[in-house]
Amino acid sequence: MLKATWEAVVGLEVHAQLKTRSKLFSEEATPTSFNAPVNSRVSVIDAAFPGVQPSLNKACVDLAVKTALALKCKVHQKSCFDRKHYFYPDLPQGYQITQQYEPIATGGKIIVDTLDGLDHDLEVKIHQIQLEQDTGKSSRDLVPGHTLVDLNRAGTGLIEIVTKPDMRSSKEAGLVVKKLQSILRAVGSCDANMEEGSMRCDVNVSVRRFGEPFGVRCELKNLNSIRSLTDGIDAEVARQIELLESGQPVKQETRGFDVVRNKTFSLRSKETAPDYRYMPEPDLPPLLLSQDYIQTAADTLPELPDKTRDRLLNEYQLDRQAATVLLSHSDMIHYFDQVMASTTKDAKVVANWITHDLFGILSVRSIPLQRNPVSPTQLGSLCNVVGEKVSGKVAKSLLQRMVDGDSRTADEIIQSDGLALDLDEEAVRQVCQKIMQREPAKVAQSQKNQGVKKWFVGQVMRETRGKADARMVNRVVEGMLT
Amino acid sequence: MSALHAEAQAAQQRLDRGQPLSAFDGLGIAVKDNFCTSFLPTTCGSKMLEDFTSPYNATVVDLCLKAGTICVGKTNMDEFGMGSANAFSYFGPTINPHKSDTPRLAGGSSGGSAAAVASGMVFGALGSDTGGSVRLPASYCGIVGFKPSYGRCSRYGLVAYANSLDTVGLLTRTVEDAKVLYSLLDQYDINDPTSMPSELRNKVNVMTTRRRKMEARGDLTNVRIGIPKEYHVKELPESILRLWKKGIEHLKGLNATIVPISLPHTPYSLSCYYVLAPAEAASNLQRYDGVRYGYRSKTQSEERSPLYEDTRMEGFGEEVLRRILLGTYALTSEAFDNYYLQALKVRRLVRQDFDNVFALQNPLIQSDPNHDTPNDDNENTVDVILTPSAISTAPSMSEFSKLAGDPVHNYLNDVMTVPASLAGIPALSIPFGTDETDGLPVGLQLLSQYGDDEMLLSVGRVLQDV
Repeated sequence: MLKATWEAVVGLEVHAQLKTRSKLFSEEATPTSFNAPVNSRVSVIDAAFPGVQPSLNKACVDLAVKTALALKCKVHQKSCFDRKHYFYPDLPQGYQITQQYEPIATGGKIIVDTLDGLDHDLEVKIHQIQLEQDTGKSSRDLVPGHTLVDLNRAGTGLIEIVTKPDMRSSKEAGLVVKKLQSILRAVGSCDANMEEGSMRCDVNVSVRRFGEPFGVRCELKNLNSIRSLTDGIDAEVARQIELLESGQPVKQETRGFDVVRNKTFSLRSKETAPDYRYMPEPDLPPLLLSQDYIQTAADTLPELPDKTRDRLLNEYQLDRQAATVLLSHSDMIHYFDQVMASTTKDAKVVANWITHDLFGILSVRSIPLQRNPVSPTQLGSLCNVVGEKVSGKVAKSLLQRMVDGDSRTADEIIQSDGLALDLDEEAVRQVCQKIMQREPAKVAQSQKNQGVKKWFVGQVMRETRGKADARMVNRVVEGMLT
Repeated sequence: MSALHAEAQAAQQRLDRGQPLSAFDGLGIAVKDNFCTSFLPTTCGSKMLEDFTSPYNATVVDLCLKAGTICVGKTNMDEFGMGSANAFSYFGPTINPHKSDTPRLAGGSSGGSAAAVASGMVFGALGSDTGGSVRLPASYCGIVGFKPSYGRCSRYGLVAYANSLDTVGLLTRTVEDAKVLYSLLDQYDINDPTSMPSELRNKVNVMTTRRRKMEARGDLTNVRIGIPKEYHVKELPESILRLWKKGIEHLKGLNATIVPISLPHTPYSLSCYYVLAPAEAASNLQRYDGVRYGYRSKTQSEERSPLYEDTRMEGFGEEVLRRILLGTYALTSEAFDNYYLQALKVRRLVRQDFDNVFALQNPLIQSDPNHDTPNDDNENTVDVILTPSAISTAPSMSEFSKLAGDPVHNYLNDVMTVPASLAGIPALSIPFGTDETDGLPVGLQLLSQYGDDEMLLSVGRVLQDV
């Protein structure tokens, strides 16, 4: 993609919506909600009525601090709030309360490595994390000539995570965002869903010839999936290189990305950029956090993705593919741990049943993972009986029944439906004997051709209709044909 | 009117049964029109909010209602609190109830509240004081104006002019009345993030009970009164200077110790105030955009930024627009360091001036256990400071119109009152006779350490008896 002498320089500004019950400065007043009826989650504070004052929601602070700690940031014992001014119909106060001068956390890093899908290790440094308010939503021309405003989102808590320009390709940027998503989800601070807007990324892009200083950057806005983020960066990098190679300068500006035309376009230039007139928020005293509070948050941090991955690979000895599939569904790690606690089988068997069979059936039935009806105890019981009491084939049918609503354990179903592997070695031997008598030609071939042995195993399995243990059948066939 | 009647009757019945809601049950009060009320419009003296009724009551309004007081009406004010004469109201000026050859202004910005009290319409009134907005009209109207320490009374529901300076203020005829009304409102409020927390209130209580006790009423043997030389400005007329001296003599006669003091940063207060207050105001007034409530322009201008520009140009008065421009400039990236940050530094110095002269330590400063009250025994420290409240008596309408083209001169009126606002300390204006040249009321101002509102009211009571 990149011409050999050019290098892209990419930095991220990520807005993550905090997953709290109520908004950042109207704790008592308004619950947050995605998809609630228009303007149904708005208090006098959110709509900036005269005389109201903000009251900081502690739950938002908790999540911001946990996220900062998960990203190895320095959490500051003192941080302050500032007003950032501009006029827009979905910004009721006429300013956004943010943390421009003294943010809640600085420093920190996001690490992406080969296990995350990169061919090298990358450490992206974090410049700062700030707590701030979200805006409402404006829809232009939904009614021709009008702008409609929904204030449900106005005042919802956000953290803005600003990275240093440490990425050198769209691929790196995409993987860093993915990694950040998994960390936010593990911490529980944000759903990190770009399509729904609970996570939004602005990207600073510039290019330079290798070894040269940073070039002039442009900011890409309104990218609402990882795909459009990487495509947008590629398009912008190509545009800037083309400009520079034809001797024209890159102008500092804010640009959007047209997914259909695969091109970026100018939103506003530096000259028309607003002066936000930052001012300390006079209604909010500095946010003071004790060392004890920060330490407690650090001590109660949930397991983070790198640690989980390490545990899956080393402690459970899972292969990378199984680990990656489990990690990409952060809810399933806990499920996996619970199944492990209720089974005697090893992790590989359990991971296989979860990532192949369970995910497969759920996907066919269009059931989202969050609504998986099979309890960890059920799946544990299933893993326990496979190859012991029932064949793999029967086990799969048991799993289907569980997905379809049978809430009994595998043992209970087997018992009541008589599905157990109850044929002993003698019974299997008799069935095998019968088939050998029926097929003398195959018996003769089997001395030279291993494949024919497998054919016999298949025939025995079919005749015993899943009630014989496959390994035992193998052993019997092997013994009788030799 | 019938609603008021019913309220009054209900109060009378409670009194007859011997079960009043409080000592103020049934008393009439007036409320400045920048306190939100759900039962009357809240206009802030502006066309912008001409038809606006708030969906909720300000905390202090609720406290008054809970005590049984009857809110007889909302009072006129300078638009959004911006003015010293109450000439800048969309609904017209407030006339001073004092008889005079020519109509005088009530003073601002709480002019309507001051006039209502001075004319005997109500027992007391709620006002707000950002740079003198309660003390100036009190002085002009010959009544008591009390600005408690910042954070004492909840600002929730007080429409913000400049949050870091705004305080609830009280207007009454006597210091005793101010004291009872204040006792009703001096409470922590969880809805106001700048409300003085209970621990701090307790700390202040401990500190003030421990210090030298004031003698019985009328004797000030243990009280030290500071007279700051910087308040002797050239604009102060001889007649007011004489009353100031008379006040000093009076307190001396009651055995108070008079101490000449210096508050060296006083001369910078006014310019500091006129950077900070407009900056905060410009920010606070951004919300009046015609989208959710308030005035919305009928003009559909395509070439100008739709809605905002027309709505705000038409909805705000001249003085408000002037201060929005001033404040907007002070916050631009080119001016921020030289104006806004510089003003914040000056503000800190003004506060330090006061901390240096008051015997009581500022309770906001973490105390050093080894030096609990470092100023207590110092010969040069004081308990209370005495100054004039204003540099003039109430201006006449014609005088004011003559100077209307000179906003800087108007800003000069606040020179006595602004330092206390910057420092957040309590201030009390006491009516102290009349000016010999025009026969109009003149007030003297008492200042005390942050949190020491009690001392102020005690000395104020002695002073008003003259």
